[in-house]
Amino acid sequence: MGLFRQILRVHVSEVGKGLECARVPLDDAVYRDFVGGVGLGAYLLWRYAPAGVDPLAPEAPLIIALAPLLGTPLTTTAKLAVVCKSPLTSRISDGLSSSRFALAAKRLGVDAIVITGAAAELSILHLDEELGRCRLEPCRALAGASPAEVGAALPGCHVAAIGRAGENRVRFASIANDGRHAGRGGAGAVLGAKRIKAITVRGRAQPALADPQAVRERARDLAARSLGAATDKYRRLGTVANVETFDRLRILPARNFQAVSIGRRKAKRLAPEGLKAAAGHVREGCAGCTIGCDHRFGGTRLEYESLFALGPLCAVDEPQRVLAAAAACDRLGLDTISAGGTLAFAMECCERGLLPWPLAFGDDLVPWLERIAARDDLGDRLAEGSRRLAAEVGQGSERFACQVKGLELPGYEPRTMQTTALGLAVAARGADHNRSGAYQADLRPGVDRFAAELEATPLRVIETEDHAALLDSLILCKFLRGAIARPWEESAELLAMTAGLDLDAAALRATCARITGLRHLFNRREGWTIAEDTLPERFFAEPLDGGEVVDRELLRAMVGRYYRERGYTAEGLLDDAALGRLGLRSLAPRLPPAAAADP
Amino acid sequence: MPATVEVELFGLPRLYAGAERYEVPAGTLAEVLAALAEALPGLSPAIICDGRPTELVRVALDGRAMIEAPDHRLHGGEVLVLVSAQAGG
Ligand code: SF4
Repeated sequence: MGLFRQILRVHVSEVGKGLECARVPLDDAVYRDFVGGVGLGAYLLWRYAPAGVDPLAPEAPLIIALAPLLGTPLTTTAKLAVVCKSPLTSRISDGLSSSRFALAAKRLGVDAIVITGAAAELSILHLDEELGRCRLEPCRALAGASPAEVGAALPGCHVAAIGRAGENRVRFASIANDGRHAGRGGAGAVLGAKRIKAITVRGRAQPALADPQAVRERARDLAARSLGAATDKYRRLGTVANVETFDRLRILPARNFQAVSIGRRKAKRLAPEGLKAAAGHVREGCAGCTIGCDHRFGGTRLEYESLFALGPLCAVDEPQRVLAAAAACDRLGLDTISAGGTLAFAMECCERGLLPWPLAFGDDLVPWLERIAARDDLGDRLAEGSRRLAAEVGQGSERFACQVKGLELPGYEPRTMQTTALGLAVAARGADHNRSGAYQADLRPGVDRFAAELEATPLRVIETEDHAALLDSLILCKFLRGAIARPWEESAELLAMTAGLDLDAAALRATCARITGLRHLFNRREGWTIAEDTLPERFFAEPLDGGEVVDRELLRAMVGRYYRERGYTAEGLLDDAALGRLGLRSLAPRLPPAAAADP
Repeated sequence: MPATVEVELFGLPRLYAGAERYEVPAGTLAEVLAALAEALPGLSPAIICDGRPTELVRVALDGRAMIEAPDHRLHGGEVLVLVSAQAGG
């Protein structure tokens, strides 16, 4: 469906008619430089977020960035990116999710929606292609409703909504659409701070494709490839199959990263067969996807990251309990990884006598998730995430608060995956397995995942980050990546046939380096220093039972090397030459003096 | 007793093989995988093709280093862990 070359600016205000909407044209150069999805989102965040803004302030933008492939018949492309300054990390946050909402949003006739301001009371933001029909609808009756209940209350509408957690500004609240969540980093809290419970979209716009015939042919070809061997795992098993494999490979984080295995018997119970036996199983898929990796057990969608975080990480090994916790996160609008990570940290604090709470490893998580979403009493402290909770608890607890830049770690053990260790340390979003795919490098033949290499490891991280930037800007689902043998060349073809963007593979590589650079530049503007690019003390100081540990000095050296390989200074600063090489110099004057003066 | 290699199967390899573990005579990686594919025919050709692991699978020696060189010699007593190649979650 290509591009409209314009965005929708929405300002919600507490007074007057409450809503100002305007279309803002974007130059072709913006799309060549940042494409769409997370790339376009990063550009718009840079442009519209005031430097140093409080992420929960009315002037902090919440951006829904669409993408050039969205709305075409190409499989796995019905996705959007939600971009904001994270209330959890105070750094960039960009989450993807798939849905019919994304398809409908594109029909507003814009490539992104930038929302600022705040409503006077909890409201639904109705967006329409005809701007005169955009409106705010107060919705006090929906306070506390789950995203699914909001959808049911708005029949015939395409809805993105927050749950109770977002309303209460839980720092890791998600935004849900069609049961899918843009989860990491707390975008739900940003929307909640604007008192927007839900967004609906309605329009009929359809931009022309540059080469409709070529798109139709490629869509057929890609659909056929999507059903081949490379996606077999996702279709037949789902990502939950990782739990047993990772347990065997000693990658599976358990008990707040105190262990890397839960034992075969328990791992088997949480594997697909165990979950099926416990709760039954159906398979579904995102809108417009031919793969269908959405495995539901007892009606609850479960993927590896939610399973790890709400299961082994918290020492919960009953399938029904894990499924109940995942369903609660869906209902309340919580990021499962941060919810599980924060609870696991609190459990360890309780185990060590640092917190006098009635909470222990293996407990039922549902009542605690409810408390977090309601921000009642202890839930209020958990709702701040593990980094802030550790700062409050003190007594050395920071060393086992398993987060980077405030974002809780995903389900890959850094001590037995040393490329991942670096990937997590340098990731702009905080401990992140989505905008970087360093774990893939660790599991490649020829890579010793137990021992990082000063020269090779940073290059592997850069390659996976840039590849992720490519897929997340087009946007194509990462689960299709195995079916795309020449990602740079094929992506250039896709952009030409859909949006008429003339970029060859080399130019696209430069574009992805630019996108990664801008995400970093945003963080720098918001106060980033290289001291943030590290891991919690646990990973340096507490060897696993096989003696594996992350070498602090080597990691530090690799972080510097990573930045030099990216063309920045070893301190991670972008000097004038680097800005020029990346094509970011025109944005640099917007840097505050301290950052602009980077040597 | 001839030296043997124990093979553990996870994810897709297990699904295709219909087995969780199997023992095969020691030899080169190619010989071991060929023997495995003969014993568990569901593995051919998607997981093992002409004695080589396909792009769907990774082979972890003793659960650690991923190996793929066909002439990698296994002397007996090793454990080969076959896992799905796609790790994302
Ligand atoms: S492969 Fe899975 S996550 Fe990707 S678009 Fe399809 S159903 Fe959604």
